[in-house]
Amino acid sequence: MTEPVITEKTTAPAGAPPTPSEAVVRIEGLSKSFDGRLVLDDVHLEVARGRIVSVIGQSGGGKTTLMRCVNLLERPDRGTVEVAGEVVHEGGRTVCRDLPRLRRTVGMVFQRFNLFPHLTAVENIVLAQRKAGIGEQEALERAVALLSRVGVAHRGLAQPEQLSGGEQQRVAIARALALRPEVLLFDEPTSSLDAEATREVLSVMRELAADGMTMLLVTHELPFARDVSDHVVFVDGGRIVEEGHPRDVLDHPSQARTREFLASYGTAS
Amino acid sequence: MSGLFQVPWSDYQSDLLDALGRTVSYTAVSFAGAVLLGLAVALLRLSKAWPARAVAAVYTEVFKNVPLLAIIFLTYFGLASAGIRLDVFTAGCLSLVVFYAAYLSEIFRSAISGVHAGQTEAGEALGIGKVGIFGHVVLPQAVRQALPGTNTMLVDLLKSTSLLVTVSAAELMSEGRLITSATFRALEVYLVISAIYFALCYPLSQLLLLLERKVRAGVPLSPWRRRRVRAARALLAAELNGDIKTGSGFRTDPERKEAAV
Repeated sequence: MTEPVITEKTTAPAGAPPTPSEAVVRIEGLSKSFDGRLVLDDVHLEVARGRIVSVIGQSGGGKTTLMRCVNLLERPDRGTVEVAGEVVHEGGRTVCRDLPRLRRTVGMVFQRFNLFPHLTAVENIVLAQRKAGIGEQEALERAVALLSRVGVAHRGLAQPEQLSGGEQQRVAIARALALRPEVLLFDEPTSSLDAEATREVLSVMRELAADGMTMLLVTHELPFARDVSDHVVFVDGGRIVEEGHPRDVLDHPSQARTREFLASYGTAS
Repeated sequence: MSGLFQVPWSDYQSDLLDALGRTVSYTAVSFAGAVLLGLAVALLRLSKAWPARAVAAVYTEVFKNVPLLAIIFLTYFGLASAGIRLDVFTAGCLSLVVFYAAYLSEIFRSAISGVHAGQTEAGEALGIGKVGIFGHVVLPQAVRQALPGTNTMLVDLLKSTSLLVTVSAAELMSEGRLITSATFRALEVYLVISAIYFALCYPLSQLLLLLERKVRAGVPLSPWRRRRVRAARALLAAELNGDIKTGSGFRTDPERKEAAV
């Protein structure tokens, strides 16, 4: 198995030099229902530039919905969503007039990879760049550099179905990075992977973290969340039950519900 | 057996070639029209607006449940009696278009709705606009799904042009009827006509199967995709060679070089 290799440093997002306290994602009072069922209830969340926030909790607890509200794949019913200093959704209305531009600011990696099966790995990374107005040659060069960075350059011309799960997810990460987003969202990126592939993908994520990439991730990998995150949020029943430094939340939880979840996780694994 | 082939075929050679050309023309024009109309109807059926869906559903059900021959008679004789006089080529093509569009729309609709919702979401998350997602993500995958059914329809349409004999469309079957009435050698004539249809349909369906296989294997068919893959191959090879030379992490495994070049 190939160990993912990071050969170039993350390019800092365009614009002003990063200030540590600047919030790339700010969510305030967010609520969301599906068919009358409240899945998120008055949630507040902030991801500062260069920070890594992990959202943990049981399946169906609202974690993924929360993440999908950031790039407005789900539209919140109430509350404010702010991305890179711009309010994009407020009071149940999308304020952002240019959704594609917002979504290029926010990269997303899905649980089931969602690579385009009719295109090769490299074309998967080129497509969105071309649509964003980047020239063909530059898009190709960037795609190849990113494939190399996540350790799958040797599979650049393979179709997704010819790639292993770990390779597919690494291509998906490269694809999300290609538009130089200000923040990366990871929606349970290793949930459909075996142990070896999980290791490969987490290794790439670890390198991104070391390079200072701002990340919001939904994960079941608690040891990874503990090692890599700056902040852990435990979501249950649509509410944030507890949040704080990973060691506080994961090793010394203050809430009974958190302890219960961590205990069940311990027995489950 | 020696008495079977007595028609002076060389006398009919140029007529048969004309007829063959006309059969191909009917097929090409009608199929192109049916694909366009079928796609439009499929999109209407997938529309969010119920009146659009209803119109498309009625269209599909009507033309799927009326025989093609009845449609041919309606467009050629029926419309003429209502004062709309269409020449035989237009009437023939129109009949084939409206009939096959109904079937193709069903194939296209299921192919488009069969593309996983995660694909559209991935496109959205990458900031690709609606039109871009449809054109670059949904449609190419739907084409892959729709190709087998569509290809069957193309061969079926080619064979169905023979029904145009009923309006003397001067295609292969009509030519066969003319030769029969001149020679009274029905068995021989229709054997030859059938053989010509077979010689058209069999290679066509084999060619389409080959196309299906290539598309399924992801072989880039369009010139711009070929160009992009060629450029990517060169860049990937340079990247891997560079890495190997500088030893920045890649193993010098020859298999991996081959995979990229």
